[in-house]
Amino acid sequence: MTASTDERRSAVHNLIAAARRVYEERERLVADLMASTGLTRPGVILGFESLEHDATEPELRELVVMTPTTDRVHVVLAANVFVAPLRAIVLARAAAPRVTVRPSRRDPWLARAIVETAKDPAIVVTADLDVDELPSGEVHVYGRDETIAAVRQRVRPGVVVRAHGTGMGAAFVSRAADCDQSARNLAADIVPFDQRGCLSPRVAMVEGDGGRARRFAAALHTELTEFQSRIPRGALSRNEGHEAARWRDTVAFSAHIFEGRDHAVALAHDSVPPWIPPPGRHLFVVATQTIEQAAAWLAPVSAFVVTVGSDDPTRARGAFPAHVRVGLLGRMQHPPLDGPVDRRGVVGAGR
Amino acid sequence: MTDRDASDALHARVRAIIEAFARQSVAPESFEDLARDIARYQTKNVPGYARLCDSRGIDPRAIERASELPAVPTEAFKIARVFAFADGEAKATFRTSGTTVGARGAHRMRDPRTYAAAARTFGRFMLARDLAPPIDVLVLGPSDEDAPDSSLAFMCNEFVRAWGRPVPSDETFFVRCGAIDLDGLRARISALSPTQPVVLLATSFALVHLVDSLGDEQLSLPPRSRVMQTGGYKGRSREVSPDALRHAVAKTCAVDPRAVIAEYGMTELSSQFWEATLVDSHARPGVYVEPPWARVVPVDPETLRPVSQGVEGIARVEDLANVDSAFAVLAQDRVRRVDGGFELLGRRSGAPARGCSIALDELLGTPRASS
Repeated sequence: MTASTDERRSAVHNLIAAARRVYEERERLVADLMASTGLTRPGVILGFESLEHDATEPELRELVVMTPTTDRVHVVLAANVFVAPLRAIVLARAAAPRVTVRPSRRDPWLARAIVETAKDPAIVVTADLDVDELPSGEVHVYGRDETIAAVRQRVRPGVVVRAHGTGMGAAFVSRAADCDQSARNLAADIVPFDQRGCLSPRVAMVEGDGGRARRFAAALHTELTEFQSRIPRGALSRNEGHEAARWRDTVAFSAHIFEGRDHAVALAHDSVPPWIPPPGRHLFVVATQTIEQAAAWLAPVSAFVVTVGSDDPTRARGAFPAHVRVGLLGRMQHPPLDGPVDRRGVVGAGR
Repeated sequence: MTDRDASDALHARVRAIIEAFARQSVAPESFEDLARDIARYQTKNVPGYARLCDSRGIDPRAIERASELPAVPTEAFKIARVFAFADGEAKATFRTSGTTVGARGAHRMRDPRTYAAAARTFGRFMLARDLAPPIDVLVLGPSDEDAPDSSLAFMCNEFVRAWGRPVPSDETFFVRCGAIDLDGLRARISALSPTQPVVLLATSFALVHLVDSLGDEQLSLPPRSRVMQTGGYKGRSREVSPDALRHAVAKTCAVDPRAVIAEYGMTELSSQFWEATLVDSHARPGVYVEPPWARVVPVDPETLRPVSQGVEGIARVEDLANVDSAFAVLAQDRVRRVDGGFELLGRRSGAPARGCSIALDELLGTPRASS
């Protein structure tokens, strides 16, 4: 049994209203979120700004119309930034009259808060969801490749698995852009969630010569340095620290590094392959002569790219693969609530 | 003195240490003295290395010990020039396998004689010092002609050339077009003298394929034969624990399990490390020993400072034979110092994901662990 469009739209509005109340009362979640995410207190507060509690009516209408329906959806949240459960639950509820949510074990706070606040009897939060036992419907998995593969392997025939994998963002700064302003905008995209989101930019391609890329990298370093006092980075895990140290030593061989206490910006020539930095406010900047060269440079990792931010979204839409969400620099962490953030499963990215 | 003269002089000093070891005589100079000179030469002639030192705030002229200098992560070989000479001067180039981003690491050598001497001398010492050449050497791998950019193929060929019985290539190398020539191997083994021990050189995955292909069949090697196994699996066969593989190979080849010896090497290095079970009756399987011209130092993954005996760390390999590339290489492998050498504990794993950002190990695929 599937729900009517009106019922689905109403349920989605109810969830957004619940998200608004959770946002208004966010203070009560901050301590738990600091512990689960590793973010600092200002980092958690900033992260809440990416919660889509202010989704617009046209966005929600498109979401409901575009979401395929089914009789039930099971949501497995294994790897996500802390605000991601809202979109996941909204998508599930837009699809089905019955929704089961298994929040991330490490970070269950927002999923629980939204479901408790929404008081929608169609949505149940569970700590245990045995995907082998699900009789029908869809499983929406948010996680790493191995988690997705494990779920696919275990579900019964007929149960559809919709995968929302891990990913990364990239930035394209056009020749016409103001370097300082673009750097300011990009820093605002890097800092949320300490770059641990699939929308978080990890590379920036700057159209123009090496001198322009250097000016941009230096400006980005300045902006990230400014952020370090206002929104300090949380502690990196031991492994994250290891990967950061290793990445810095590797790119130091072929790039100039602008390094701050809480960040590093590597500036390289586009003859160096995209050596993607680990999360934790690290960026790899290259100079590229044209947007076509930028797309070619990014091609080896484009299957992992969820979004591209640019001052020139029109050109970027034409240059990068169809699955990539394109948005404005400074708004990369705020895609419209019009469907899944990760469109690779929808448009196809050749993974 | 030109840079090339300086390089030649350093190569000569490294080979003098190797030759002294071959004679089992005292090294002509200390590891530390030569290491410091090589490291300084590299900071002068490998621009990327100078940048790395600079980014760490290290002045190579001011250091007292070579271990104070940063190690070069193996990934740098994939994205940068890690060599101290002009492009056209490379006499050998060994490459790692590719990654998702398509970059293959390249270890270029201007004078591969030092690599050859290091491999030949320590390999002979650990694997065949009690055998008089010519020795029948069988290789479950391609020849260096078939795999010209493989450091493992180069090393095996060097062993064959140095101590092997001169026979046609197809009676030595038994992997063709990626598959083991089982019939050829059977024929060769059946024609061997039953009193002459042989040396079988193989990758771990080739040995797994051999054991799986033969099932209960034995391919008995003559008494006192020995088997070298090296490298990871890289998805090319089912994975088998080192101990299980050792015993399976020993059974299939009718050799003593202590004569199945693991070798640890990397494309980015010029020296190799061996288990000592064949040459030391007290040696434990799984414990690797270094030649006098190389050392493995477990370091803390974040601070990169050495950790104590018995504590796990990432392998910082200091290899004097890497004259023209990187004296100190930061491997991806976890190691631990123990009595008699070091243990290899597997590859470091990527950072567990917090959030939905893609992890580096997902991005890069599985880079090769060893030659």
